[in-house]
Amino acid sequence: MNRDMTQLTAGTIDIVVEQVLMRGAAHIDLRNVRQIDPYALLLLTLLVLEARERGIAARFDWPQAPSVRTWMRTMGFFMQIGAPTASPPPGTGDALQPIAEIGDEASIGRVVDGFHDRLAERYPLTESSRRTLTAILIELFQNIPHHSNATGRVADPHGLAAMQDDDEAMTVAIADKGIGLRGSLGLRPGYEGITDARALDAILRDGISRFADAGRGGELQRIIGVVRSWDGSFALRSGSAFLYFDERGGDIVDVPPFPGVQLAIRIPLRCFDEAPVDP
Amino acid sequence: MTAMHVEEFRIAQFGARLGTRLEGERARARLESLIASLPEEGQVRLCLDGLEVLSTSFADELVGKAYQRVVDGGFGDRTMVLDTPALELADGVDVKLAQRKLAMLCRHDGRWRLIGFHTPALAETLELVLTKRRTTARELADQLGLQMSACVNRVARLADLRLIRRRKIGMKGPQDIYELYSILEG
Repeated sequence: MNRDMTQLTAGTIDIVVEQVLMRGAAHIDLRNVRQIDPYALLLLTLLVLEARERGIAARFDWPQAPSVRTWMRTMGFFMQIGAPTASPPPGTGDALQPIAEIGDEASIGRVVDGFHDRLAERYPLTESSRRTLTAILIELFQNIPHHSNATGRVADPHGLAAMQDDDEAMTVAIADKGIGLRGSLGLRPGYEGITDARALDAILRDGISRFADAGRGGELQRIIGVVRSWDGSFALRSGSAFLYFDERGGDIVDVPPFPGVQLAIRIPLRCFDEAPVDP
Repeated sequence: MTAMHVEEFRIAQFGARLGTRLEGERARARLESLIASLPEEGQVRLCLDGLEVLSTSFADELVGKAYQRVVDGGFGDRTMVLDTPALELADGVDVKLAQRKLAMLCRHDGRWRLIGFHTPALAETLELVLTKRRTTARELADQLGLQMSACVNRVARLADLRLIRRRKIGMKGPQDIYELYSILEG
């Protein structure tokens, strides 16, 4: 299966999710994949872990293209799924920011600093871009400790984040397999039993949070506004709902159910105002 | 009016890139302790100098929540204002105050402005109080060309938001007469 799959992106990764979790496919063939985006990489990581936890014995054939394989290794994918491989030669793989684990809130400052420094090494960020991006990272990262295990029933929500650039844009992806937007918002009186799509809509469009405090909520709504103003793209998946938009528009669609929240923002490099620094 | 006691609170003492709600909560304990230590009618001037990033979450946890207590009267007649070297840095505070339906005086480039939740009418009335430093609703109504009842409503809102002070100086019929004061140093 999947022999014809050459791209593993926000637009295609759910084919793999469906095959593994809903159809119980025994063999996932990703050998011809020649491009993976950070969102798909994180979801693939969580999918392997989820399948293992559910006792699903799926065998994955990983991409054969050396550049893709090396990038996955440099990003720390094989390490995350418990299949460490030999370290790639220094300077290969071109990983902008390997997969970082987002644990408790106290560790977020250090992770954000790491992302900030990695980005600043490659791009001469303007003061304004740096402020905005760093503030976005803080908000997105802290959502994991704030919401992914708000019920206290998840053994490990596996919060992950990664970042990669290409010729046109920089993508930051954040993912977990916790209780998801529906699980978090459903804790608020009046929102019990809400659907994934409605939870996504309430949080992203209405700025609702599981907290009744007037100062809570609205962060994702504002981040969407910033991404739109940069002509970037935004992908957010939670449960069985997936929102995607770019400069041409977007919508919420159904996807195969998967725990937690997976999110990516893609920002055109021109937003950094200056040409990339030759690494 | 006696000379006002103003204490500066530099947010950059907690780091240059701030931060999470947890960090904001820890910082708030220090801020609230400073507010409580001031004499009645004392003022905290929050200073954003030296900061690179101030997230909306940190801004809410530190400034939004502490200021909510100030406005709700949890610190008596003490007040709080903001001083920023760049308006962009105060965005998070602005957003969260608006979300809480609060407004705060913010100084940038030597000029005071309102951030948070406010209307042009409220800003206009406040500016006049700041300029005159000491006035009455009657004077304001005359200068702004307003009906007295409209002016009294604006003044009451400004006082509720701790953006001006008012002192009862008498009564006219069933209505209390107040003298109004700027909360800024002379």
